Amino acid sequence: MTPGKGAQGQGSPAALFQDWLPAAGRSTGQSLPWLAAQRVQARARVRELGVPSPKSEGWRYSSLSPLLEQGFRAVGEASGEAGSALDPGALQTLLIPELRSHRVVLVNGRFDAALSALGTLPRGVRIGGLRDSLARDPDALEGLLTSVAGDGSHVFTAINTASLDDGVVLLMERGALLEEPLEVIHVALPASADARGHELAPPVAHPRLLFSLGDGAQAEIIERYVGPGGGPSCTNAVVEIALGRGALLRHRRIQDEHADGFHLSGVYLSQGADSRYEGINIGLGGRWARTDLVMRFTGEHAECDLRGLYLAGDRQLLDYHLDVHHGLPHCASRENFKGILFGKGRAVFDGLVYVAPDAQKTDAAMSNRNLILSPNAEVDTKPQLEIYADDVKCSHGTTVGQIEPEMLFYLRSRGISAGLARRMLCLGFAGEIIDGLGPAALREHVTEQVGARLEQAPL
Amino acid sequence: MLSVKGLRANVGENEILTGLDLEVGPGEVHAIMGPNGSGKSTFAHVLSGREGYEVTSGSVQFDGHDLLELEPEERARLGLFLAFQYPVELPGVNNTYFLKAALNAIRKSRGESELDAVSFMRLMKERLKVLHLDDSLLKRPVNFGFSGGEKKRNEIFQMAMLEPRLAILDETDSGLDIDALRIVADGVNALRDPARSMIVVTHYQRLLDYIEPDHVHVLARGRIIRSGGKELALELEERGYGWIDEVAA
Ligand SMILES: Nc1ncnc2c1ncn2[C@@H]1O[C@H](COP(=O)(O)OP(=O)(O)O)[C@@H](O)[C@H]1O
Ligand SMILES: [Mg+2]
Repeated sequence: MTPGKGAQGQGSPAALFQDWLPAAGRSTGQSLPWLAAQRVQARARVRELGVPSPKSEGWRYSSLSPLLEQGFRAVGEASGEAGSALDPGALQTLLIPELRSHRVVLVNGRFDAALSALGTLPRGVRIGGLRDSLARDPDALEGLLTSVAGDGSHVFTAINTASLDDGVVLLMERGALLEEPLEVIHVALPASADARGHELAPPVAHPRLLFSLGDGAQAEIIERYVGPGGGPSCTNAVVEIALGRGALLRHRRIQDEHADGFHLSGVYLSQGADSRYEGINIGLGGRWARTDLVMRFTGEHAECDLRGLYLAGDRQLLDYHLDVHHGLPHCASRENFKGILFGKGRAVFDGLVYVAPDAQKTDAAMSNRNLILSPNAEVDTKPQLEIYADDVKCSHGTTVGQIEPEMLFYLRSRGISAGLARRMLCLGFAGEIIDGLGPAALREHVTEQVGARLEQAPL
Repeated sequence: MLSVKGLRANVGENEILTGLDLEVGPGEVHAIMGPNGSGKSTFAHVLSGREGYEVTSGSVQFDGHDLLELEPEERARLGLFLAFQYPVELPGVNNTYFLKAALNAIRKSRGESELDAVSFMRLMKERLKVLHLDDSLLKRPVNFGFSGGEKKRNEIFQMAMLEPRLAILDETDSGLDIDALRIVADGVNALRDPARSMIVVTHYQRLLDYIEPDHVHVLARGRIIRSGGKELALELEERGYGWIDEVAA
């Protein structure tokens, strides 16, 4: 593997990631010293970290080469502002018709006011583009933005921070209630030609999302990663979530990028006392996708429920890393990820639950179960518990198996074809995760997408 | 309707069916009795096309089709139904969805149109009632978390929905108390029809008090060693299976 090989032909890793960054001084909020300082610091960190070594712990299972070979360039640099426009007709095809939501659309990481439909927001709730929010009321973001993610768990978070320019902000005051979900649609567009008809380098977008829920606030957020395809695109998103005391967030993330989509997302979560987070991560599309879920408790009696479902087929790598840190007593976490692999699909589940010496009465259970439908598919699963407290209830389990012949025979003995029987069993397996999705329109949409993927699978 | 001739089948190295002959005519109910391990379930599985059995000789004709050449789903579409001795749990597979898929697959193969949602629902509720099963069963995953008795009743419920031409009931009575047994037997008897045949596999005579067979066969060491009328079942009940070893040996 030669991770340093960029499309531009420059050998050095640092030079490679220079292409991922916007030119210094271009981003919004230059007049905000706190933000400028964060960017400068992150830039230094990008240089310091460089391209992750394929031997390093977090990267040994998923080769970076396919990502680096594309020669991605930061959106503004690659294609100019004009290159990243989506017409409303094209958006329609990406919507879930029955889904009612406060809708925000990001096109290659840029908040698009015209395509967004925020509707009427309840009292105490603010939703907007990050760029606008920084222009209008930067004080509301100081001390919050970048505080949860910090330096992040790897270089791609640092790249996002160094490029921090636009995205979405949700700010909820104490006790505020968002009844309809906030839907964030990330649309990734491929490169377009410039004015003289030259192909431009494929773009990488770095959206930053900040969701801050005050004490007792409650919300549901749906993030969807989609794109029309037609060439490589890359999204390198960072999501920061801060939950106040007793806050409740239901967070559904549907990664359904097109076949040439590259995807990186880091979700950083900070949970106050008595808060509850329910995250469901669905990985359906994309060619190469890595998701990091990093969570910390900042108060006791908080609960974190992380669930996931991934379907990986030919030419697909779907990679999940969980880093759940129990640093305080009396908190509970659940990690339940399921995978279906077919064709030459590859997936990685790397889950760590860490229980610090003081985190007594921690209750944690991690599970990763995989169905492998073809001998060429592969999953690396590595659930880990690191426990330094003695009065805890922790468990983990992992399975990698095939469809049970008995189950298959039972269905076929009722007249159901082998293909449909396999799909029914896969959907049954996936149902445990999908059934947790609300609202119904989203659940049905995902069920359909999963069914459609399985129909294409050579079962 | 069903004609089995000289059927021999292996599981791995072991020959389990050792030359089995059986003729079943339309509308007939045949009971197959025999000690544990004699090959009753193996016979049922071979008929329905389960993997893992190697047929080494013999033939099975079903309504003019060479049954052994067909996939399990093709056999089901021709009207073969197996009520499993151990019904399989299918976590996450909804019962209604499952039955609809099965019924439509069978109807389609017969050139019939799919049943519309209302008629399908009406049919399900009507058949559930016969088996004293609750409507809530329709929302649950197939057999998942069912009690032993519920599983057995669910098999007969499926049979009632799919209306097979030949049903094989593999120890549908085992593990049932007397009330449940009566319900299952009522369900089966409601399905008796001049055009529908049944093979009732059982270890005990008890079930045959409720489902009256036309013919009774004794299966031992993989073949039928005696056939007779329903009085044979009573004789077995009195004498037990001990004598069989001598005959079969
Ligand atoms: N899948 C299998 N693997 C190994 N042995 C089997 C298998 N199925 C059946 N047998 C053997 O075949 C014989 C007959 O079993 P079975 O047909 O289940 O009997 P019955 O239903 O009459 O109790 C038994 O000796 C059993 O151990
Ligand atoms: Mg048996």
